[in-house]
Order: sequence, then C-alpha cells, then structure tokens
Amino acid sequence: MANSPIIDTLKKTHILELLKDGKRLDGRSLDQPRELSIDIGVIPKAEGSARARLGDTEVVAGVKVQPERPFPDTGDQGMLMCTAEILPIAHPTAETGPPTPDVVELARVTDRGIRESKMLDMKQLVLEKDKSVIGIFCDNAVTDHDGNLFDVCSYATTAALNSCKLPKYEMKDDAPVKIEGEVSDPPIATLPVSVTMIRIGEHILVDPNMDEWTCLDARITITTNSDGNIVALQKGGSEGFTHEQLTNCAEMSIQVGKKIREIIKTASEGSN
Amino acid sequence: MTNEKNRHVIPGEVIVSGNYRSEQNTFMEGNKIVSSIIGLSDIRDGNVRVIPLTGGYIPKDDDLVIGKIISHSAMSWQVNINSCYDGMLPASDVFGRDFSSHSDDLTSKLANGDLIVARIVNSDRTRDPLLTISGRELGKIDSGELLQISPSKVPRLIGKRGSMIQMIENATNANVTIGQNGLLVISCEDSNGLIKAINAIELIEEQAHIANLTDKVNEMLESKSE
Repeated sequence: MANSPIIDTLKKTHILELLKDGKRLDGRSLDQPRELSIDIGVIPKAEGSARARLGDTEVVAGVKVQPERPFPDTGDQGMLMCTAEILPIAHPTAETGPPTPDVVELARVTDRGIRESKMLDMKQLVLEKDKSVIGIFCDNAVTDHDGNLFDVCSYATTAALNSCKLPKYEMKDDAPVKIEGEVSDPPIATLPVSVTMIRIGEHILVDPNMDEWTCLDARITITTNSDGNIVALQKGGSEGFTHEQLTNCAEMSIQVGKKIREIIKTASEGSN
Repeated sequence: MTNEKNRHVIPGEVIVSGNYRSEQNTFMEGNKIVSSIIGLSDIRDGNVRVIPLTGGYIPKDDDLVIGKIISHSAMSWQVNINSCYDGMLPASDVFGRDFSSHSDDLTSKLANGDLIVARIVNSDRTRDPLLTISGRELGKIDSGELLQISPSKVPRLIGKRGSMIQMIENATNANVTIGQNGLLVISCEDSNGLIKAINAIELIEEQAHIANLTDKVNEMLESKSE
C-alpha cells in the first residue's frame, strides 16, 4: 500500500526484545503459522469459491469460467488469470483506485504460484486449437488485512480452484456453446501452497502478522507443490538472506506447506 | 429541578417529552426529545443530553491526547490521534522560534512511529487540529505499554475528579497517562502491577455502562493483590 501502516516505536521495541528470547508477541513459536480456516463455496454464483482466514487476515476468492480466444503463442492451452484487490474495509490504509505496486505484486505472486506449479493441466482446457479455449479467472478480494496477504491469497485461490466445477462447452458453427446442466471437475495435477517468511535481524519468522510485517528486514515467499518441490519464489524487502538462512526457509516452507495442504484438502473434501 | 436517573437509549428513542431543551446527541421532534446515538440519557435542569457509549474521537480544544507521528513536511509533523482528523504539530513548537527549515532536521527530534503526549491547541474542523508538546508532562514517550480503549469510555476510566484512575494507580503503583482520544500509556516497574492495571482498565472498558463500577474495580484490585 502506498501509505503503509507505521508501527509505534514502543511496540517495535517490544517485538525486538521478545525475539531475542525467540518469542513472538502473540505467543507463537517462530515457525508456527496462525490458525487457518477455509470455507468452500461461499459465492453461490461463482463456478468455485473459497474464504480463507489465517489469524485475522481474510481473503475471499472467486473463480469464473468462460470460453476465450487463446493467446497467439499458446493456442493449445487454456487460459488462467489471477487477480487480487485489497478492499477498503480490509484496513484503514487501504483505498480504492488503481492498484498500488504491492497489490500488483500480490496478484502476480499468487498467479505465479498456481501457474508455475502446473496446478491445472492447461492442455485439457482446449475447445478447438487456436480458436477457443476455456479461460479460468480467479479474483481474490482481501476483506481483512493483518499481514501476510501472499499466503492467504494463495490458500484461497488453491482452495477455490480445487473445488470449482467447469461447465461443459461444445463447438457449434465455430463458436463455443455451453451445454446446460453438465459440469466436470477441473484437471488438478497438484496443490500449490505458499509460505511466507520474514527476517528480523537474525530471526526467521513464518507467517508474520501486520506488526511483525512492519518490522521486517527481508521477506521471502516460497511455493511448494504436493510432492514437496519448490515451484516459485519471491523475495522482497530492502535487505537479503544468507545462504544458510535461505536453506532454512526452503525446508520450513516444505514442512509448513505440508500441514497447510492437508487443511486445504480437508476443506475441499468436506464440501463435496 | 429534578434529575431523572440515567437510562439506556438507542437512536430514535424518545427520551422525554414536554418543556425541555435538546443538547448533545439529541434532536427535537415536536415537543419530544429523541436520541440520535446509543448512550445514556442525562436530564439535568431541563437540559437533555445523551452520553455516548460508542463512537470515535472528535478533537476538542485543550484535550490531552496521545498520538503517533506518521509523517512530516518541511514545517510540521503529521500525527495520528486516533481520530478522523490527523493532528498537526508545527516544527517551531519543538525547535523554538528560530526554527529554520534549511538547517533543522525534523526527524532528529521526532521520527515516524514515535509516540507523543500532546495537547490540542486549536481545533475548529476547518483545518487539522493543531497540537503542542511544550508544557509539563507533554512530549515524547520513551517507555511504557500502549493501550487503546474506546474514546467514549475515557470519562468512565478517569471517574469523578479522577477517582477511578487514582484508585488504579494507588493499588498497582502504576503511572497511567490517559489521552482523551482513547490511547493510554501505562508505566509500572512491577510487572504484576502492570498486568493488574491493564486488567482493571479492560474491565472498565468492558463494563463502562454498568452501575457501581467503582466497587467492582476496587474488589478486583484487592482480590488479586493477596
């Protein structure tokens, strides 16, 4: 956000003091994410939807599906687009208007996690090569902002896509026509899960809340797939990580991601 | 004239009808006086007002507030005072009359995120409220615990002539600075006292609308001290 929140110095000192003993302000351990809950099917008119709540951060994701003309260089693949928006109700500093650079980054990191993990087999989403493909659009709306939007958008998107139903289309006179009442499951190959970690001094913290986020020296978002392989990375903040810290982050993202993937799976199964 | 007992009212509720004057947070409809907010009605000498139980902070002249520096220009700091209006602290208030925007660096005295105890010099809603930190017990806050309560509950926390807050301070040896904007800073050398003071303040915020609050708080402070 352009006018990002400023933490008062008393609280910042408190956070830094506690970190010296390896503690966090809300009592979590350094590698412990906040509690995650996922509700599936919260938007009845969307083809798929999910509400993800991680601590006090909440994101609603909705999936719309419609036939599209493919990009000229990818005529043999479906289309995927993820967007993100921070609603003004999410935080006092959030405003309407064109997206600020960090909201653009949020949308791109979310999109990259889904795309690079090859969560959806895009080749199965072609109606007629070079003419018509199925487009999947996933929009994320942040309704409550208490830090770490990257992960919550990732979980909401993954959960919404995983549980969505694709309408069926057939080609008639070179145009796609929807077959009413027929749906199919999306071609899901893996479940990408992102884990964001920040570095404050020498300490690495998983899933920072807003207060911790405002104190960060560097941050990294690592997305892993169901096999525990790293598929996407995003580094931010004005400082860097040492080699050892990066290795730690990678391992942590795999371990934490595994638990979170189970929560997403359970939520999706519960909805079916 | 009679003092009618305070009553809980909601917006649109008729408080009283007859020959009365409408004051804060009420309006007249015919000869009826109606509340415009959620609060406690207060009828005194023919004047009817409602003491709010919820709501934000509107700056008033001479209020003591606690604010957070959020930005600065060449001539002044911008201060978040937990209100829809941001406070303005002029640089000359800190550097003195010979302040020069060329030679003096504002961040050398107050940086973003610093907390200050300030007094509102002027607030007329046409411009940002003007603050000052020159005065006794005003200025930058270096230590303590910052707490936030609803601004409408500040009078209850202070109590009649400061009775409530004095009781808490005496029982816990804590020093509490209360801003009218709902922010407070508590400093206490004894961590148990600090926790007790915070609990007492949270109790007051939770039960501000209940009668005999003073006795309840007193009971709580005494029970835990054993």
